[in-house]
Amino acid sequence: MYILALKNSYNLFLNIFSVAREEVVHVLCFDVSEEELKVGLKPSDTQRLHIHNAYSDPLGWTGHPNFTAQQFILEDLANLVKQTSQPKPAVLVIDSLSWILRHKTPPAVCQTLQQLRKGGAVRAVIGLLHTDMHQRGTVGSVCHLATSLISVAPGVRGKEAVARVTKRSKSGKVMQDEEIFCIAEDFTVTILSKASHAEHKTNSTEEEQADPTANLTFNLRLSDSELEAKQKLTLPFVFSKEKKTALLHPGPGSGRILYEPDANDDYDQEDPDDDLDV
Amino acid sequence: MLHNIDVTSSNMAAPVNSVGKTSGDRFQVNCTSFQKKTRSKLISIPGTRPSVQNGQLLVSTGVTSLDYLLGGGLAVGTVLLIEEDRFDSYSRMILKYFLAEGVVCRHELFVATAQDNPDEILQELPAPILDDVAVPKPVDQPRPTGEPQDSLDAMTIAWRYQNLPKVQSALASSSRFGHYYDVSKTMEAEIRQAAKCHRFYLPDHITPSSAAHSARVESYSALLKSLQEVIHREGFDLATPMSKSRNILRVGLHSLGSALWGDDMCCHDKPRHGHALTTFLYGLRALLRSSLSVAVVTLPSHLIQDRALMGNITRLCDNAIALESFKGSERETNPLYKDYHGLLFVRQVPHLNCLARQLPDHKDLAFKLKRKQFTIERLHLPPDLSDTASRVSRGEPVGVASACGSG
Repeated sequence: MYILALKNSYNLFLNIFSVAREEVVHVLCFDVSEEELKVGLKPSDTQRLHIHNAYSDPLGWTGHPNFTAQQFILEDLANLVKQTSQPKPAVLVIDSLSWILRHKTPPAVCQTLQQLRKGGAVRAVIGLLHTDMHQRGTVGSVCHLATSLISVAPGVRGKEAVARVTKRSKSGKVMQDEEIFCIAEDFTVTILSKASHAEHKTNSTEEEQADPTANLTFNLRLSDSELEAKQKLTLPFVFSKEKKTALLHPGPGSGRILYEPDANDDYDQEDPDDDLDV
Repeated sequence: MLHNIDVTSSNMAAPVNSVGKTSGDRFQVNCTSFQKKTRSKLISIPGTRPSVQNGQLLVSTGVTSLDYLLGGGLAVGTVLLIEEDRFDSYSRMILKYFLAEGVVCRHELFVATAQDNPDEILQELPAPILDDVAVPKPVDQPRPTGEPQDSLDAMTIAWRYQNLPKVQSALASSSRFGHYYDVSKTMEAEIRQAAKCHRFYLPDHITPSSAAHSARVESYSALLKSLQEVIHREGFDLATPMSKSRNILRVGLHSLGSALWGDDMCCHDKPRHGHALTTFLYGLRALLRSSLSVAVVTLPSHLIQDRALMGNITRLCDNAIALESFKGSERETNPLYKDYHGLLFVRQVPHLNCLARQLPDHKDLAFKLKRKQFTIERLHLPPDLSDTASRVSRGEPVGVASACGSG
């Protein structure tokens, strides 16, 4: 599940995701109207897009709403996606989660997102979240659920933006990336460069392994003939096989210690100098 | 009151101070076959041992360095709270170590989750390393004594040690206290299925649509009821007469307090249901004190904005540690931290049936997850070997160290 966390309300990116792949995409529109979303897209792309209009009447004030915020639960969403009757599961794009979070409690939204992820109705969920509209805890809880998190912020120069991507894999590995990109008029995304901190990191981690035996006034290395001589050397306490077996498996009677106590063993703790009378 | 159960384990392991030495001394010398004479009335449960400090019955958390920090192990009847790191990788790892230790010691398990199915956690348990020996391992495998010729070729220098058995066959591996696990492999299915495991997966018990409309958080009371029922049914309750052999129940609760449990503690700055988790922890501790169980609870504390609530939660649990991983933060590139994966803070250690608590000596602790061991070491400044070493240039690393020391 991908979550786009936007710092300053960039709405354009929704279109990029819908155009990118050859898949069926369902878009739940709360923030902008259907016409505004379709601006600039080619008609061939809009065929794969199924836009569900929740913009005109999200709270059901008229008698017959198309899709309301209260309908953001698993059964209604699954029905919505099934309407296209495609063999493969679709991608659901939600524009925006911020809108839904204003009308439903965050735990309910999180539970619905988790159910969407676990159930087979949709293959991926892409949600847009405006981080400046919610409390930090709410943003944190929703982002905690996501497997990939892209934080977008305006860049230094005018048309550029900075994206910080965090990907969590199933095995627990976390990958982080920062990129600068810009979007052209026809919605193609060009990634300009990675941010400068990433370059810094790679330079500092490249270190050469210092070889301690170089640059010495004496020779610490062995030539091949010297290595052979070293291996041929007989070590002390390396016995012949018979002696080794004899030592490893002692027979009966060998290794017995015979000792007879002599005068020095007769030590009395209470009378160390042996000069007390009875 | 915690029951001071008078039990002995069948093989006394090495004393507390040598368990889990800080840097890499991981082999315990356990080649004694000393059997303490026990009276027949005392029960001895595998995988436990009495504490040398206060006589409580301890179980291992699965991480020997963590056992050392907590005073030898987790006392039976207590709760360990783990404050999760940002991406829940290392806290999940410690939970898996805890459950894997239960499988190896043949304890029973109870796993409760709201996010992933408990079976997923159980399938990811690390594989135990069952043939650790205390002597330095020979290069080749030693052959049995029936083949002397081959065995003599095995070692050139240390040949006198050849015939010592590689595996201590007289002592079963589960009678040791604290095992080591290989994180790169998962536990084999036969070992895992030998252990009895009770599962609690929240979506099976509570339909979210009903939960959304209720004023209270129902998930915690459902969990507590389920746990109480398991304790009663399986005979972990201390009130029932000791008819059959006793065992320990290990309870693992994953990510309590997150939004998926229906709790808004992590979502709002002033949560409405702030008392739901604290009530649950109070009930959990009461349940554990009257039974032979141990609980490990992980909590996404980085999402909780109310520090007073976090303090309440810490006080309601007996042991509390917090993990902070360097992944994703600016500390990752700090040369001071390059050997470690994160910082560990011991927030609370209990004093059970005694007046003083056994806090660890060092406050600056860092952890590293290696393949065969989860090490927790004291974080110290490296020697300042730069040419321009002066008081002024030393300001930066000292500042960083104090930041982690205040935790």
